[in-house]
Amino acid sequence: MTTHHSRRDILKGLGGAAALTTLGAGSLRTALAKTMADDKTWKQASGTTIQFISENTPPTTAIAANLEPFKQLTGIDVKITQLELGDLVKKVALDFGSGRSAYDVIYADPYQVVAPYHQGLMDLNTLNGKNGLPAVPKGIGDFIPTQLGAAGYFGNRDALYALPYDCPTMIWIYRKDLFEKYHDQMKKDLGFDPTPSDKITWEQYYQIAKWFNGDHVKEVKYGTGHQAKQYDSLQCDFSNVLMAYGGEYFKNGDQVGLLGSAKPGPSTLDQPAAIEAAKFYQKLLKIADPGSTSWDWTGVANAFENGRFAMMPEWHEFAGSLESGKLKGKVGYAPLPTGPKRSANLYGGTGIGINGNATGKQKTAAWLFVVWATSPQTQLAGLKSKEGGGTPTRTSVYNMPEVKKASHPPTDMPNMLTADTMQIAWDKDHIGLRPKIPAWNQADTAVFTELSKMLAGQQSPEQTMKTAKQKIDSATGA
Amino acid sequence: MAGNARRGGQGFELAMMSPALILLAAISFIPLFTMIWMSLSKVGLIGGLSFDFIGLDNWRHLFTDPDIGSSWILSLIYFAATVGAEMVLGTLMALLIHSLIKGRNFVLSLVLIPMFIAPIIVGLLGRFLLDPSFGLYSWFLSATGLYDGNILGSVGPALAAVIALDIWEWSPLVALIVLAGLTAVPTDILEAAEVDGASYRHKLVSIILPSILPILLVALLIRAMDAIRFFAIIFITTNGGPADSTKIIPIRLYDIAFRFFDLGYASAVGLTMLVFSIVIATVFVRVLQRKEAVV
Amino acid sequence: MNTRGHPVSTTARWVLIALMLAWTLVPIVWMVLSSFKPTNAITAYPPKLFFSPTFEHYHALFSGGNNLWNNVVNSLIATGVSTLIAVVLGSAAGYGLSRIQIRGKDHLAFWIISTRMAPIAAVIVPLYLMFRYLHMLDSYSGLIVAYLSFNLPFAIWLMTAFFDDLPRDLEEAAHIDGATKWQVFWHVALPLMKPGIATTTILCFIFAWNDYAFAATFAGPSTQTIPIAAAQLLTQTGIDWGKLLAIGTVVVCPMAVFGLLVKRWLVTGLTLGAVK
Repeated sequence: MTTHHSRRDILKGLGGAAALTTLGAGSLRTALAKTMADDKTWKQASGTTIQFISENTPPTTAIAANLEPFKQLTGIDVKITQLELGDLVKKVALDFGSGRSAYDVIYADPYQVVAPYHQGLMDLNTLNGKNGLPAVPKGIGDFIPTQLGAAGYFGNRDALYALPYDCPTMIWIYRKDLFEKYHDQMKKDLGFDPTPSDKITWEQYYQIAKWFNGDHVKEVKYGTGHQAKQYDSLQCDFSNVLMAYGGEYFKNGDQVGLLGSAKPGPSTLDQPAAIEAAKFYQKLLKIADPGSTSWDWTGVANAFENGRFAMMPEWHEFAGSLESGKLKGKVGYAPLPTGPKRSANLYGGTGIGINGNATGKQKTAAWLFVVWATSPQTQLAGLKSKEGGGTPTRTSVYNMPEVKKASHPPTDMPNMLTADTMQIAWDKDHIGLRPKIPAWNQADTAVFTELSKMLAGQQSPEQTMKTAKQKIDSATGA
Repeated sequence: MAGNARRGGQGFELAMMSPALILLAAISFIPLFTMIWMSLSKVGLIGGLSFDFIGLDNWRHLFTDPDIGSSWILSLIYFAATVGAEMVLGTLMALLIHSLIKGRNFVLSLVLIPMFIAPIIVGLLGRFLLDPSFGLYSWFLSATGLYDGNILGSVGPALAAVIALDIWEWSPLVALIVLAGLTAVPTDILEAAEVDGASYRHKLVSIILPSILPILLVALLIRAMDAIRFFAIIFITTNGGPADSTKIIPIRLYDIAFRFFDLGYASAVGLTMLVFSIVIATVFVRVLQRKEAVV
Repeated sequence: MNTRGHPVSTTARWVLIALMLAWTLVPIVWMVLSSFKPTNAITAYPPKLFFSPTFEHYHALFSGGNNLWNNVVNSLIATGVSTLIAVVLGSAAGYGLSRIQIRGKDHLAFWIISTRMAPIAAVIVPLYLMFRYLHMLDSYSGLIVAYLSFNLPFAIWLMTAFFDDLPRDLEEAAHIDGATKWQVFWHVALPLMKPGIATTTILCFIFAWNDYAFAATFAGPSTQTIPIAAAQLLTQTGIDWGKLLAIGTVVVCPMAVFGLLVKRWLVTGLTLGAVK
């Protein structure tokens, strides 16, 4: 994958966006001013410099390249630090530990930042439209409900810690060209219509993968590829299967996933459904591209683009780069297959929040930035960014006629090609939510480490789930 | 020296040492005592750092944690394999370069390049070369039929690969140091041996190696110190996987400190690493001193 | 060294040298080569040897907001200043330690080198707290002190070894001629130490230059070093191999030239230090 984009491309892309949507700095100010607040409100923290720390994600890259309109609008200087997520969590935690606000605006991963450190984040309800500060345009109800719940809250809906900022979610990405070309033959050989959708079961996914492994196809060597490196990605890849099979990390998985819990109780990974899921996952990975165990989400996308295999569970935002690479137009998107329980599409989105130690003008400026960065206009600009951009977290953006039109090829918003799929994936019955618990990092590590041992043939699925449960329980103190 | 001491005491020597030692004490004692204190506490982060004294809980945990035990065993293997291979390979490289008459400097400067590349970049380069879908080395191994699997994703090969990357980066350092020793081997003895018709192997074993032994120990000490501390290459390639097969102790320490933020426990683990390094260094220094006494 | 009587024939020796160079250089050549490839060709399979070269990755590195030049400057300042301090203080302390006659000198020497063995991940938190109270986060001074924590003991240790090996006759003669201790150090001992100083400088420079863990924690937006820039290419949606390989090349080329320039000193320097 690794699409290369020079800074110039991004500016070009945004320039194009500006021309198309008349979204220049001046008109943005007018547009925002009209919907939200007057010039004086925007200028109230003029001259301040704030620090925004973010994972190096496409939406932040797009924003970093397009800060000028915000500066003109508000007179605020935003310094952006982009880091790998692990490094970001380390810096944010140390910042909280130092009792200061070196970083005012924080990319608050729900699992790694909000769950363990929500006390360090400001309750945004105390800022939204209060004391002369602007309110969130179109209200927080405009955010996709499951995303607002997962990214914004902890434990209950009293305090709002972050506004949904990006929303990568795992879906089924496949070679549309191959599925079309071999459709009839596959249907005949397999005995079912193989067209990817949530009507296909995981068992059928396995059969499709196996079919591609055979000698029928010369374009690809394997059927399926996975992000099964001993890393966060392995837990994500497995969680889709786990939840589809009805397995849960904890009792009340929906609640622990959506709002989170400081005391989730004992893990339920040793229950029969979870063990079935692990058995299936082991079976699936045996016929997957053997490269899988060294790939994270990037590696597997790269291999997919290199034509190693026909399909993979992958974050939907990879559509942006796949559609600008050599597979342009050959890629299809669908919700992940269904298990005995449901189709589960793991959510990996994140919100942005404000450091609780920020005060005075820093705090004001931080809020102005958060409002601007999650506004419909900024999200639209992100869609057009050549960087692949992010995908919107707001319902209203998906309803813009221009955006709706872009969800079918040819399109200038490649990420929108997944729009129909995402509408299903983010539905509350389809979304897969990891537990949001303070000890998530320990739980995550326990799960991907034990799964990695299982895939290496060192232990059985039963043993794997049992050990993972024990380690999680010892981390949560249950 | 005795004359030195008579001439006005040791004030000058102390004055020379004091700036460095005061600075060193500040940047080493403060962290050390903080670590000891943290290892006896439960450390909280929110609203500024807080320490709850919990006695020896972290230490008790340390000695009953099976993961720590297995990481230590793996670390010893990794330590022996990297340092051992670097010593052998570095010495061989030095002997080869030393045997060159023309172009010695040129070859040497080429061989030295890897150690100038930050381990983090070496690790990424390793991923680039070993990626199953486009890596040059993966392609080479599979095209020649030597190995067709997934190097960084399989239990044995992944460990071998991260060891090889470390060897690639740091053998040149050993080669450089050993080469310095070789240039100082007394040539008259070598020539005398040659006149006597001694074989190369005989010269190597009875003249060259004994005379570079002190410098080999210096190289060993430098490498050993860092082999226990450094973890960037593994951090960026496998990060401990697959199946924990590359999770050496510093990687686990990093997880405990900066993924789990169990800072008290991390301090306990860190202190045991420090003790291990000191023990290893003591052994090496003893050997070094004994050799010097003999020479 | 004379090679007569070498058991390994000339051919075999050249084969071994070729193997050694291949082991060392193939990854580097491949890195440099690939850094000039268009993005698609970089991850092509099977690997491509022929391609139309492009400078796009270099252009991208040195233009725009995240200009690598800033990282190069930061790396040079942090590494350079900490190396300079380590070598200056280390030379003085090394001389003092080498010449002083006190009980427990061995223990002192051992304590010095043992401070270099502190596990990186464990000292990060205490150092972080220290730097915060002293307002040294995201500053060159923070990075410099962090690098001194491993380079200063190393410099003292190495310089002590070098001074230990320096013949005392000259110093004694100077003393008898009435020179002060400082004059002896400055005019007699130090000038003989050039190779030792060169060696210490280069090794300290390498250790600081290559650091990632400290810079990843203590550096802020305005002090990021080159390894940090490299790690930042590891983004959520992909590794920008083109830029990464270009960074690698940017680091390797000056270092290779640098190595060529100083290695004469380096070799003699190390000789003096450890071989009697």
